[in-house]
Amino acid sequence: MKRRDFFRAASSCLLPVMVDGFGMKALARDSALVQSLMQTTAVNTDRVLVIIYLNGGNDGLNMVLPLDQYSAYNALRSNIAIPQSSALALAGNDATGLHPAMTGLRDLYNNGKLSIVHSVSYPSPDQSHYRATDIWMTAVDATQTVDTGWTGRYLEDRFPGYPTGYPNAQMEDPLAIQIGYLTSTALLGSQQSMGIAIDDPNRFYQLVGAGGQTSPDDLPCCDAGELIAYIRQQQALSVGYAGEIKKAADAGKNLATYPDAAAKNSLADQLKIVSRLIHGGLKTKIYFVSLGGFDTHSTQVDTTDNTVGAHASLLGKLSAGISAFQQDLKLQGIEDKVVGMTFSEFGRRANSNNSKGTDHGVAAPMFVFGTGVKHSTIGTNPNLSDLSGTGTNKDIKMQIDFRRVYNDVLSDWFGTNQTTTDNLLFRNFPTVSLFSTMVETVASGDWSDKNVWTVGRMPFPTEYVRVRPGHTLTVGQSVTIRNLKLDGKLKFMGAYKVKLTG
Amino acid sequence: MPYLDTYTQPLTAKTAAHLLRRATIGPTQSEIASFTPPGGMTATQAVALLIQNGNYSPPVPLPIELDSTKPNAGQTFLDKPFNGDRNFWFGTYIKYWWYGLMTAQNTKPTLLEKLALFWQNHFVTTREVVDDYRFVWQYLQLLRNNSLGSFRTLVTEISKEPAMLKFLNGNENEKGKPNENYARELQELFTVGKSDFAGNPNYTEDDVKAAARTLTGWKFTNYWVEGSTTFGTSFTASKHDTDAKSFSDHYGLKVIPARTTPPAGYANTGEADLAELITMLLSHPETPKFICRKLYRWYVNPNVTQTIETNVIVPLAQLFASPANNWAIRPVIEKLLTSQIFFDASNVAAIVKSPAELALGSLKFFNQPIPNMTTNYTAYLKLFDFAHWRMRDMQMDVLDQPTVFGYEPYYQTGYSKIWMNTTTIALRSDYTDAFIGRWLVVDPNYYGTGVPYKMGIDVLAWATNLQPDFRNPPPTTGTGGTAAITCEIILADFLKNLFATDLFQTQQDFLMDKIMMQDVPRSSWGFEWNNYRRVENDRLTRLAQTPPNTTLPPNYNNYKNAVTNRLQNLMKYLLRMAEYHVS
Repeated sequence: MKRRDFFRAASSCLLPVMVDGFGMKALARDSALVQSLMQTTAVNTDRVLVIIYLNGGNDGLNMVLPLDQYSAYNALRSNIAIPQSSALALAGNDATGLHPAMTGLRDLYNNGKLSIVHSVSYPSPDQSHYRATDIWMTAVDATQTVDTGWTGRYLEDRFPGYPTGYPNAQMEDPLAIQIGYLTSTALLGSQQSMGIAIDDPNRFYQLVGAGGQTSPDDLPCCDAGELIAYIRQQQALSVGYAGEIKKAADAGKNLATYPDAAAKNSLADQLKIVSRLIHGGLKTKIYFVSLGGFDTHSTQVDTTDNTVGAHASLLGKLSAGISAFQQDLKLQGIEDKVVGMTFSEFGRRANSNNSKGTDHGVAAPMFVFGTGVKHSTIGTNPNLSDLSGTGTNKDIKMQIDFRRVYNDVLSDWFGTNQTTTDNLLFRNFPTVSLFSTMVETVASGDWSDKNVWTVGRMPFPTEYVRVRPGHTLTVGQSVTIRNLKLDGKLKFMGAYKVKLTG
Repeated sequence: MPYLDTYTQPLTAKTAAHLLRRATIGPTQSEIASFTPPGGMTATQAVALLIQNGNYSPPVPLPIELDSTKPNAGQTFLDKPFNGDRNFWFGTYIKYWWYGLMTAQNTKPTLLEKLALFWQNHFVTTREVVDDYRFVWQYLQLLRNNSLGSFRTLVTEISKEPAMLKFLNGNENEKGKPNENYARELQELFTVGKSDFAGNPNYTEDDVKAAARTLTGWKFTNYWVEGSTTFGTSFTASKHDTDAKSFSDHYGLKVIPARTTPPAGYANTGEADLAELITMLLSHPETPKFICRKLYRWYVNPNVTQTIETNVIVPLAQLFASPANNWAIRPVIEKLLTSQIFFDASNVAAIVKSPAELALGSLKFFNQPIPNMTTNYTAYLKLFDFAHWRMRDMQMDVLDQPTVFGYEPYYQTGYSKIWMNTTTIALRSDYTDAFIGRWLVVDPNYYGTGVPYKMGIDVLAWATNLQPDFRNPPPTTGTGGTAAITCEIILADFLKNLFATDLFQTQQDFLMDKIMMQDVPRSSWGFEWNNYRRVENDRLTRLAQTPPNTTLPPNYNNYKNAVTNRLQNLMKYLLRMAEYHVS
C-alpha cells in the first residue's frame, strides 16, 4: 500500500490505526492533524512547481538577516551591512529579519505562506558558477556528474517516452515551461529537455502558426542525422503545443497588480505569464523562471546607503514578483495548486570584500512559498561564530542539503513514491517536513539538538511532533508542542514535561 | 583512422563549402567556386588563403556614428573625446562594424573574424558590463590582432586589458582586499579549465585566492570620463601584494616569491608576478588540452569522445604547448582545419548553426549587398539593426554574452543543440521567411538607382536566369521555342551548396510535389512557366517600343504570381528545413 493510500483509507474507516501514539485531541476526523496528513500526502495531479533561479550566487546573508548575532554580522561585512534598524521584522521570529527591500515577502512570511530554509548547500561545495549550477540542477554529489536534470528525471519517470507521441490525449500540454529562450539543465531528460521555452505565449503562437506539411523523415548518418532529427522534433513540438498554450493564455487572466513596465522587473513579467497559463488551465507541471545579476563581486550596495543598490534592487524585484504572483493565484482561486521555490548556485562569502561586494561563498537560504508550506523556518540562522575558513575568507556552513528540499517537492508535493524519489535523487534524503505539519525525528539524540529534527531545529509550540520508530530522544528540559505521536521512545532526564497545546 | 594527418585530396565544392562554413561565418557561391579552381586546391592551400586574406591590423574605416539624426552622423567616434551620451549606441555600432567585416563579399574569405569570435567567446567581456565603448573596441582589437598569434601574449595582455579589469573586477583587486573574480575565471575558463577530461579538479579554492593576490594592483584609467581622450591600464605598486604566493600540488606546489622590486626586464613587480603566474598556468598539463578541446568543439564537432580526446585533443595540445611552438595559435588552427578528422564525413553537418552563422551567413550566401558604412550609413544601419536584434532574440548577442562562460551552446551539456528549441526555431523561421517576404526596405533609393533595395531573394529572377532562351518560349499552339526548365532543375539549383547534407530522393520528391506543386502534377509547372515567359516576353517587347508601351499584357499578374508563389513556397520551405540549420 502506498503511503498516501494508507492515509486516505485511514481517514475514512480505519481511524483506529492512527490512534497509536497520538494525544486524544487529535483523533477527530476533522482535526487539523488528520486534515494536514490528508493534504500532505494526497496525490494532487493538478499540482504545479515554480522554480525561480537567482543567477550568479545570491548573497543570502544580506537577504535573511541574523538579528540575533547582529554585531558578529556587522563585523564580517561592515561596508555592506544592513543596519539593524532597517531590517524587516518577522512575526513570531525575533532572531531573524529580512532585507528592507522585501516587504512583500515579509507579508507572505507573516501570513504563513513563506518558508525560509536556512543555510542550504551540499557537502564539498563548489564555487565555480558553472559547476555549482550544474550540481544544483542535476542534484548530484559534488564528486559526481550526470547529464540529466532533477526535474527532467522526474518528468521522464512520470511521462515515459517523451517526446515521442507527445502531445497526446493524456498530456496535451508541455510537461514543463521555461519562460525565456533557452531551457535549463534542471529540465534535461536523458535524451533532451523535458520542457519547452516560450518567451511570450501570443508571440509564440504567431511565430509558430498552425504548422504545415511534414517532410519525410529520412535522415543522414552520424551526428548530422541526430541533429536534424532533433530539430524536426522541436519543430513538431512547437507546432503541437502552440495552440494549447495560446488557448490557456487566452483563457487565463491576471487578477493581481504586477509591477509596471517602468520597474523593469523581468521576474515579475515572467511570473505573470506563469500565473496566466496556470489559470488558463494548462496542465504543465513545472515552470522555470530566472532573475540574473546576483554575482555581486562589486558595489552590491550604494556608496552612501547600504539598504539600497544593486542587490537591494534584485531582492526588491524578487519580493515584488513573488508577492504579486501569490496574490494573483489567490484571486484566481488556484493558490493551493502551486508552490514556488528559489535557488541560487551558492551563497556568498560571509566577509565582504573591499569593493563593497562579496566573493563566491557556500550556504545560503532558499525560499519556498505557497499555501502548501507548513513551517515558517527550516533550520536556524547560521551560527556566525562557527564559520568555515579563516581571516577574511569565512563561509557559512551547510545546515540543510538542497536535495532534502527536492525530496519533499517530489515525494510530498507531487506525491511521488518514496522509492522512486530516492532513485531520482540517487539516494534517500531525509524530509525537512516542508509540506507536512508534522515535525519528525531523523535520529536518536537530545530533544534540544537541532540535528535530530527534520526541520533542522527544535519544534515550536505550534507544531505537531512525531518520534519515529527506533528513535529515542532524551528530554533534558520541559518542552511545549502542539501534539505528540510517539512511535519511538522518550527518555526523561529529570522531572520534565512535554506539554501539549493541542 | 588517421586523425590529425593532413587531408590531401583536392577540395570539391562539398569539402570547400564545409571548410568555408566552419572557418568563416558562411560562404558565398563564388567563394566556393574560387576554392575549387580548375586543377584543384588542397586543404593546406585553402587554409593558407583563409589566413592570408585576413586584415589583421585594425581595418579602416573605424566604426562611425550611424544615426542620421545626430550632428556627427557618418563620422568616426573612436578618435574623438569620450561621449557618454552615445555610449550605448557607439558600443552597438562597434558590433555593426564587426558584422560588416563578417559579411564582406569580396571573394577573399578570411578565417579571422570567426576565430576572433571564438576568442571573444573565450575571453568574454561584454559591452553591457564594460560599458565604455573605447574599452570594448580596444579589447576587440587585442583579440582580433592576436587571434593567430601567441596564446601566452593573449592571456597576459587580457589580464591587464581595461575591459577585463572592469568586467571581472580586477580593478578592485588590491593588496589585503582581494577580489577573486578574475583569478577564478582566469583558471576555470581561460586557461586550465575547471576539471580534466575525466572530471578531476584542476586547481583548488586556495589557488584562486593565491592567484587573486598575485594579480593585485592593476587599474584602468579614465573610465567613463566625459571628454577624455586617452585611457589605459596602470599599475599601483602600493596596492600590489608583495608577499610570497603558494599554490597547490596541481601547480607543483609553485611559490611565486615575495618581491618588492621588479627583476630585470620587468617594468614593475606586477608585471613580473603576472608573467610568472601565466607561466605557471601554461605549465599545467590541462591548459593546452582545455583550449584545444574548445577549438575542436567550435570548428569540428561538439562531441569530444574518448577516442577524439586521445587521438586529436592530446596530440594537438602537445603541438600547442611544445617548446618549438611555444603557444603559437596559428599552427594549431592550420593543423586542425587541414586535418582528416575535420573533413571526415561524420563531422559534416554536425553542428547547429549559431544565430550569427544563420543570420549573417544567410546575408552572405544570398548575396545581399552590404551598403557602404561611410557613404550610405543609414542603409547600413537599417540592415544590421535588423540582423542584430534578430540574432539577439535567437540568443546570440555578439559581444554581449549572458555570462562570463560565453554562450551556453559552447559549454553546456547538449552544446549546439541548445540553440534550437521550440521558441528559437520559430524565431529562426521568422528570420528566414523575411528573405522570401522581402518586407525589409534597406534603402528606398539604392545609391540613387531609383530602385529600392529590399532584403531577400528574388526567386523569380533566379529561375529566369536558369532558363535558357527565356524570351523564346514555345508558342501556345504548334512547335518551336525553348522548352521550360523543370521542377528538378529549379530544385537542384536552389539546393546548390545550400545544405551541408544531401537530400534523399523522397525528400526531393516531397519538395517538388507537395511544397512547390502542391499536389498538381510536376508537368503543370512547364505550362505555368511558359505562360509567364510569354507574358513577360510580351511586356519587355512592349517596353522596347517607341514610345514604350507600359500596358501590361493580359493575365500578366496572374501568370507571374502563379510561378512566383511556387518558387517562394519552395525556397521558404527549404530555409525552414532542419537541414538548413546545421553546418
